[in-house]
Amino acid sequence: MVKGTTNRIDDLLASVTGDLLGEVTQTFQNHTIRVERILLEMVRPDPVQPRRVLPESIHLRFHNSHVTPTQALRELVQLVQIAARQRGRPFNSVVELLPNTDDEREQETNTLLSPEEQLLLDLVNLAITIRDDGQVNPLTVVDVSQGVTRLFRIETGERRYWATWLLRDFIPNYTGDGMIPCILVPEKQSSIFRQAKENTARSGLTAVALARQAALLLLTVHGYEIPAYAVGNDFYRQALQLDLRSRREYTDAILSAMGGMKKGYFSEIKALLRLADEALEIADRHGIEEGKLRHVIAVAPELHAEIVRQIVDFNLTSRQVKELCEGDRMQTDEDDPLERLPAAALKIAKVTQSISSTSAQDLVRALLKQEGDAAIARARLQAMRKLLSEAERLLGTE
Amino acid sequence: MTRVFVFTNHKGGVGKSTSATNVALGITQVLRHAHASNCRVLLIDTDSQGHASLVTTGKKDYGADNSLYTVLMAERQNAPQTLMNCLVESLWDQELHVLPASPMLEGAERELMGIAGAPYRLADPLSKIVGQYAAVVIDTRPSFSLMTEMGLLAATDAIIPVEPRYLETVGLTSVIQKINDIREGWRHPNLRVSGLLVTKMDHRIRGHNHLLAELKAHPVLGKLLLGVIPVNEAVSYAHHNHQSLFQYDPRSSASKAYVQIVGTLVRYLTKVGV
Repeated sequence: MVKGTTNRIDDLLASVTGDLLGEVTQTFQNHTIRVERILLEMVRPDPVQPRRVLPESIHLRFHNSHVTPTQALRELVQLVQIAARQRGRPFNSVVELLPNTDDEREQETNTLLSPEEQLLLDLVNLAITIRDDGQVNPLTVVDVSQGVTRLFRIETGERRYWATWLLRDFIPNYTGDGMIPCILVPEKQSSIFRQAKENTARSGLTAVALARQAALLLLTVHGYEIPAYAVGNDFYRQALQLDLRSRREYTDAILSAMGGMKKGYFSEIKALLRLADEALEIADRHGIEEGKLRHVIAVAPELHAEIVRQIVDFNLTSRQVKELCEGDRMQTDEDDPLERLPAAALKIAKVTQSISSTSAQDLVRALLKQEGDAAIARARLQAMRKLLSEAERLLGTE
Repeated sequence: MTRVFVFTNHKGGVGKSTSATNVALGITQVLRHAHASNCRVLLIDTDSQGHASLVTTGKKDYGADNSLYTVLMAERQNAPQTLMNCLVESLWDQELHVLPASPMLEGAERELMGIAGAPYRLADPLSKIVGQYAAVVIDTRPSFSLMTEMGLLAATDAIIPVEPRYLETVGLTSVIQKINDIREGWRHPNLRVSGLLVTKMDHRIRGHNHLLAELKAHPVLGKLLLGVIPVNEAVSYAHHNHQSLFQYDPRSSASKAYVQIVGTLVRYLTKVGV
C-alpha cells in the first residue's frame, strides 16, 4: 500500500498525466524483457537451482549468507589447492591451472583432474574468455527486489556469474567495472519450466541434478511453495510422494522441460532422490549416471555412500554395480541375522569376481588416488596379501 | 540513461531541499500514475544539515555507517555495494529511496581533500546503480564546496532554485558559470543547466513581479525558466509535519506549481527513456 495516497493527490497527479504527459505515458509502460548491465553484487544465484556449480557445502554456506561470493570462491580455490597438492600439482594462482600448450606431459595429466579441479579449471577458462572477448551471452535474471534492497535472482547463467566473480577477484588484468549484462525478466514472467529447459538443453547436467529438476517441477505444479533460500535434500524428497498422474494437464510440459524424456525414465530419475545425502553429494560431484545409481537405491540407505564411493574409486560399470547391489541385497534378505557376514568381507569377495576387468597399473593408480601416498598404498597391499594368504589357507582346510 | 537532477545554488534558503524532496516524490507518483514499469526515484542528500533526509525519512541521526559519508569513505571497489546498503525507504512513498546525509559530511570534505579522484566518489558508485532508478534527485549544500562538486559531477541536469530578489538574480550568472566550469573543467559533457526555478514568488510584491518579468525577457535565462513556485504557508507546515507538500495540502498553490514542474521533468525523462 502506497503511503499517503489520497483522492486529492490523485486528482493533482491526474492533471499532470492527462494534460502534460499525454501520449508519452506509453513510453514508461515498458513491461517487456530487456537487457541491462547490473552491478554484480545485486545478482544472486537461485538457491534451489538443481544444477549446482559450487560443491554442496560451499553452496549451502553461501546461500545461508555465511560467506560472500569472494569468500565462497576462496574456499573453492583452497579446496582445489589441497587436492592439487596431494596430486603433486601445487599452484598459487588460479591462472596456473590453465594448461601450458607447450607441455605435452601436462596435457595428459588433465584427464586425471578431480571434480573440484575440473570445476575450477572450467571457471577459470570461462573467466579468461570473458576477460579477453567480453561476455556475449547475458545472464537471465528475475527482479526480486524488496524495498530499497535491489536484488536479481539468476534464472540461467550461474557459471558465468561465478566466472565473473573469479575474474574480478582472483585473476589479474581485470578491467571491467563490476557490472554484468543480464536479460531482465519481470517476476510475473519468470518460469521454472524455462529454467528446466535451459538446464536440460545443456550438456553436463548430472543425474542427481536431473532428479532435483524433476522434483522441483513436480513440487511446483502441485502448488508447493518454492523457497527463496537454500534447501536440503529433504525438500526435493517431498516429490517422491507425488507423481505426474495427479496433474495430468502438466505432464507434457514437465516431460518437455525435462528434455523430452519418457514417463518411465522420469520416474526412475525422480527415484534417485531416495539416495542418502552423502551418496547424493558424491554422485552429483562425480556425475555418476542414473544407470548405475538406480541399483544403489535398492540397498539399505546406510550402504549408499559406500557403494557410490566404490563406483567412483573403481569406476564400476552398471553391470558390476548391479551385481554388487543385488549380492548385497540377497545377503541381507537370505542370511540369518545372527550369522550375517561383515559388509567389508562381502565387498572384498565381490571384488574378486571383477579382478579380470582391471589391471595392476589401474589398481596402483586407484590406490594412490585413494591413499595419496605410495608407502601407505604399499602397506594396504601387503595387508591385503596377508589376508588373501590366510583366506587361501582356511579355504584349503574347509 | 537515467536523468540525474541536481538542485544547486550557493545561496541558502532558496528552497533547494523543499524543491528536491517534493520533485523527487512527484516524479515517483506521476510515474506510478502513468503505470510506468519503473517508478523508483533516488533522492541523495549531500547537505550536512540533512534537512531533506529529515523530512523524507523522519530521522536525522545518520552517522558513519549508514549515510552518504559511509559511501564517500568506502573503498572504491566496495562503494556501490555500500551505497546500496545505506539506502533508506522514504516515509513518503515506498518507491522513493533516500541516501541520507550526515553531519559528518562537514568533516568528509577535509578528509577527502587531496585524495586522488575525491570529486568522483559519489559519481562512480552512483553510475553502477543509477540504471535501477527512473530518476535521481540530488540536494546540495548552499556553497560551492567539494560536496557540491560531487553532486554536479554525478548529475546530468542542474536546476537552480532562485528567489525573485535583486541580489539572488545577480548571483545567477555566477552559478551558471560554475556549472559550465564543472562541465568543461571536469570533462563532464552530460551536465547541463536544465532549468531555473523561481521560488517563494509573491505576486503582491512589485519587486518580485518586476524581476520575474526581467528574467522572462532575458535572452538566455528566460529560456531556462522551468517554473514559478508561489510563496505558501503550506510549505513550512508540511516540513513541520515531515510530510510532502502534495500530501499535506494537494490543493495549495505551491503543490499545483510543483506538480507542473514535475510534469516537465518527467517529459525530460522520455527523451532518453526510463
